[in-house]
Amino acid sequence: MEHTVNYLVCIPLLPLAGAFVLGMMHMFTCKNPLPEKLYSFLAMLGPLGSLIFTLIVFATLREMPAESRYLTQDLFTWFSVGDLHVDMGFFADPLSTLFLLFVTFIGSLIHIYSIGYMAGEENFGKYFAYFNLFLGSMLILVLGNGPVVMFIGWEAVGLCSYLLISFYTKERDNVLAGNKAFIVNRVGDLGFVLGVAVLFWGLHSALGGAGFDYLNIKASASSLTGGAGLAVCLLLFLGATGKSAQIPLYVWLPDAMAGPTPVSALIHAATMVTAGVYMVARFSFLYASFPLAGDVVAWVGILTALLAAIIGCFQRDIKKILAYSTVSQLGYMFAGVGVAAYSAGIFHVFTHSFFKALLFLGAGSVIYGLHHEQDIWKMGGLKKKMPLTWIVMVIGALALAGFPPFAGFFSKDEILFMALAKGHWMIWLIGVGVAGLTAFYSFRLIFLVFHGEPRDQKSYEKAHEPPPVMTIPLIILAVGATFAGFFNLPSFFAGDSMVSTWLAPSLLEHHSEASRVTEGVAMVLSIAVVLLGIFYAWKTFAFKPQDKPLTGFAKWAEDKFYVDEFYNAFIVQPWIAFGRTISNFIEPNIVDFPIKGTAWLYGVLGMLFKVFQAGYVRVYAIYMVIGLSLMSIFLSQSL
Amino acid sequence: MHDFASFLPLVITCAGALLLMLYAVCPKAEQEKASLMSMGFFAVAFFAQLLVVCTVSRSVFPETFNGLLGVSSFTNAACLIIYACGFFTTLSSHTYFRENHFATVEFYSLLLFSAVGMVLLSMARELITAFIALEIMSLAIYILVGFNRASSRATEALFKYFILGAFSGAFFCMGTAMIYGAAGSTRFESIAEWLAFNPATTPLMLGGAFFLLITIFFKISAFPFHAWVLDVYDGSSNPITGFMATALKTAAFALIANFLALSGNLHDSWITGLFWIAVFTMFGGNLIAIGQDNIKRMIAASGIVHSGYLLIALVAINSEHFSGAVIAYYLAAYSVATLGMFAALSWLGGEGEKRVNFDDFKGLAKRQPLAAATITIFLLSMAGIPPTAGFMGKFYIITSAITAGQIALGVLGIISSILSMWYYLRLIVSMYFHDAEEDFVVNGTSLASISTVALAIGTFAIGLFPLVL
Repeated sequence: MEHTVNYLVCIPLLPLAGAFVLGMMHMFTCKNPLPEKLYSFLAMLGPLGSLIFTLIVFATLREMPAESRYLTQDLFTWFSVGDLHVDMGFFADPLSTLFLLFVTFIGSLIHIYSIGYMAGEENFGKYFAYFNLFLGSMLILVLGNGPVVMFIGWEAVGLCSYLLISFYTKERDNVLAGNKAFIVNRVGDLGFVLGVAVLFWGLHSALGGAGFDYLNIKASASSLTGGAGLAVCLLLFLGATGKSAQIPLYVWLPDAMAGPTPVSALIHAATMVTAGVYMVARFSFLYASFPLAGDVVAWVGILTALLAAIIGCFQRDIKKILAYSTVSQLGYMFAGVGVAAYSAGIFHVFTHSFFKALLFLGAGSVIYGLHHEQDIWKMGGLKKKMPLTWIVMVIGALALAGFPPFAGFFSKDEILFMALAKGHWMIWLIGVGVAGLTAFYSFRLIFLVFHGEPRDQKSYEKAHEPPPVMTIPLIILAVGATFAGFFNLPSFFAGDSMVSTWLAPSLLEHHSEASRVTEGVAMVLSIAVVLLGIFYAWKTFAFKPQDKPLTGFAKWAEDKFYVDEFYNAFIVQPWIAFGRTISNFIEPNIVDFPIKGTAWLYGVLGMLFKVFQAGYVRVYAIYMVIGLSLMSIFLSQSL
Repeated sequence: MHDFASFLPLVITCAGALLLMLYAVCPKAEQEKASLMSMGFFAVAFFAQLLVVCTVSRSVFPETFNGLLGVSSFTNAACLIIYACGFFTTLSSHTYFRENHFATVEFYSLLLFSAVGMVLLSMARELITAFIALEIMSLAIYILVGFNRASSRATEALFKYFILGAFSGAFFCMGTAMIYGAAGSTRFESIAEWLAFNPATTPLMLGGAFFLLITIFFKISAFPFHAWVLDVYDGSSNPITGFMATALKTAAFALIANFLALSGNLHDSWITGLFWIAVFTMFGGNLIAIGQDNIKRMIAASGIVHSGYLLIALVAINSEHFSGAVIAYYLAAYSVATLGMFAALSWLGGEGEKRVNFDDFKGLAKRQPLAAATITIFLLSMAGIPPTAGFMGKFYIITSAITAGQIALGVLGIISSILSMWYYLRLIVSMYFHDAEEDFVVNGTSLASISTVALAIGTFAIGLFPLVL
């Protein structure tokens, strides 16, 4: 079977080319912008083209025998130093193809939605240039043939998130949020780079100058020693906590709401935050051999899920609630990949991308309809004004809460059941609890926004359903959020676990068998908890909810447990003080002094030489004669 | 006939020079038309040379005209550089003489004549031919330097250059005589044969080579024969300074490289001497440049430093398989940047060269953003910052030095290029970080501005696509 193809490069290249063209157009026509239609049309070409190529890749892979399903394309040798040989190339296997499918599909939908949402904004062109760049970077991340190429995309999505989060640069808070996202991500990136470096260090003799890509790494992974392997896994996971917003680096994601709402949808659903999960799954062959690292991943994941769910229950900004729900769902995914249920984790990424994109775009419609009102306590009763948005949001909330048969149910239940089957019953227990909290906060949002009486009559009057360019993507996503779960119907429901089977060649996992009875009981229990959560939300918020100031634990949770303040006081401030000391004391006295001294010395010498340029031709002739004489003496000695 | 094809560009240049001389006699002759004509001659010669490079196979006799002249890939590259320098110099002159009214038709004729001399010099395979070529080139250049007879500075520069040039020309004759005494011939081929059986350190040979080298050192302004260069560059008009700094240096380096590559024997005997001259030239040039306030003088001094780098390449040449690619590449990179600087100076200078000091360039980035940007590119290329051509050139030179085992020289070259940042960045700082003190404006597009932009693009183009000759 021929594994080398020549069209993989088109998948990331098309959006990148789009970004370049749009960026140039915007740059040169800043003063009198081109029509928005032109930008919209050009912006759509890249994502749709990538989607088509992805479908070709998918079809080609399906033709191949399951055990050797992959396509590669090597463009050129990027660099080759000593044993380190890195080819710039792309690699598509079932795992990356699944990611490609939903990244390009959902990315395209969000692009379409943005055309409506951003209409009339200044810098319309810049927005789409960044958007295409974001998508292209994510595709490089997913398609890269090794950790080094992945790192290009890894860094580039960080950059794009910074650019888009602080898109409305006129407000200082937005810029700060962008900075925060970027800087927190850098901390994680450092872990990633170190992890890749240690990986190479541990493998370089086994690789022996062969290309540093996944296929070769996998082939020689067994030569990695215990300590190094554990270090690699943990360092890579540190990188993942940055990109995928896990404890301790989750703090940037809620602030990332400063950007336009479709940006949040893109970050949360299709790009960026799923990168960490992808990376852990990509290195599943390493995590599988170091169970301790897997346990760390699982525990960090489930604790993040719990923490974010608790905070989410007390937020009042519609986007913040959704942001914490993303952090929480990402926690589930990491719990999944941590307990070595990689396909379950990845499947949750897949379903999550549908319902989270749906929820964000729905929230965007609400915000758009209410002219940039984001406080759920100022909404209410919008069901009548925005019936379509209401329906899709309810579907999204049901999927998020994990209520059967919506998408989230199958994937989340798979993770929880796998945790139980592998003997992590504590993780399972916390996971079920989080499911209840999730149901509670998602329906708190639905009831407060769409039901009851309008609490802010003025904005209620102005509320309206958004234009079709925005609602059509919502409907498509709603269909996805309803039925995506059936792609991986477990054998319990007489399904054939399509996604898990598809992913099997890329991942290294052992399916644990547990009795049907256990599975049934676990499932019933989690449905019961979800129902309880919805019921409690209904009871509290559906009728005459009271917006009273929170106290005690609730107040504490509303203020996000003061984690930001803690980081600020114990990490940021000492660091700033350290930097200030360097700039005030070490820099001028220890670093600059010798440099200035050298500069001064050369200045003086230069002046000295200037004196010799006397301007008299006789003096110049004398120099020549002296030089000649000296050189003659020198030469005569060599005779 | 094949011989003749290789010399076609030379014939074109020569014919152009003579035609312009005849044209000058016409009562209706205008210098502006003459400048356009000479532009055409240079362009045609350049493309003819390019055609020769691409089409004529290597089987052409390396020695032609009975061994007086020779053609190789290195001389072809040098000729290309010289014709390109001539072309861009005429572009700058065209603009320069709109504001400064002292040009006549002969100016362009002399420019072509000096190019003829340079091309001959770079192809010379015989010492007396080389001397004649040297004098053709020098005489034309002397006149061009002092062309503005109304300016006492130009006249002073002319006399300094002329006296010292005559002084150094005398050494060339003496060196030729001594080499003839040693080897019994002035033809390179015969000298190489002689050197194959005799050491290069016999007194006559050593002395002869020494005097020859001194003349060339004078022409390329190597230490301690550099002192004239500041006053002469400063005194002559901008386009001519650019032409001298680039084309003349190219021709002189072509001759010295051809001569030293004659035999490993000869080259080896000069390694130590060249080593020290290179070091002194680099550091002496840097120290002089640091003290300058005048841009032309600064560039003149920095030209000394660049000669030092080229001397490093001379130390490192391999006479077994001499191709001169490194030297040609560096000369091309250096010429593009330097010509660009002088084109920009011609463009911005206005009448009587108003912009000459560092202070005159304050705030240029706001008034003339394009000019400031291009000047920045040229300066960065001269300083050797990637991705410009200057970086690649320095990179090749230092790599070749290290390959040849001259690690100390490579390191000193790097240190010297760090020092050179001082004066290059100083100009960038005054353009970008200071406010303008006076508002002297130049209007309209001119050929010099076009050539400035073209050369700025060339700086990147050469840097991104390193030619391997």
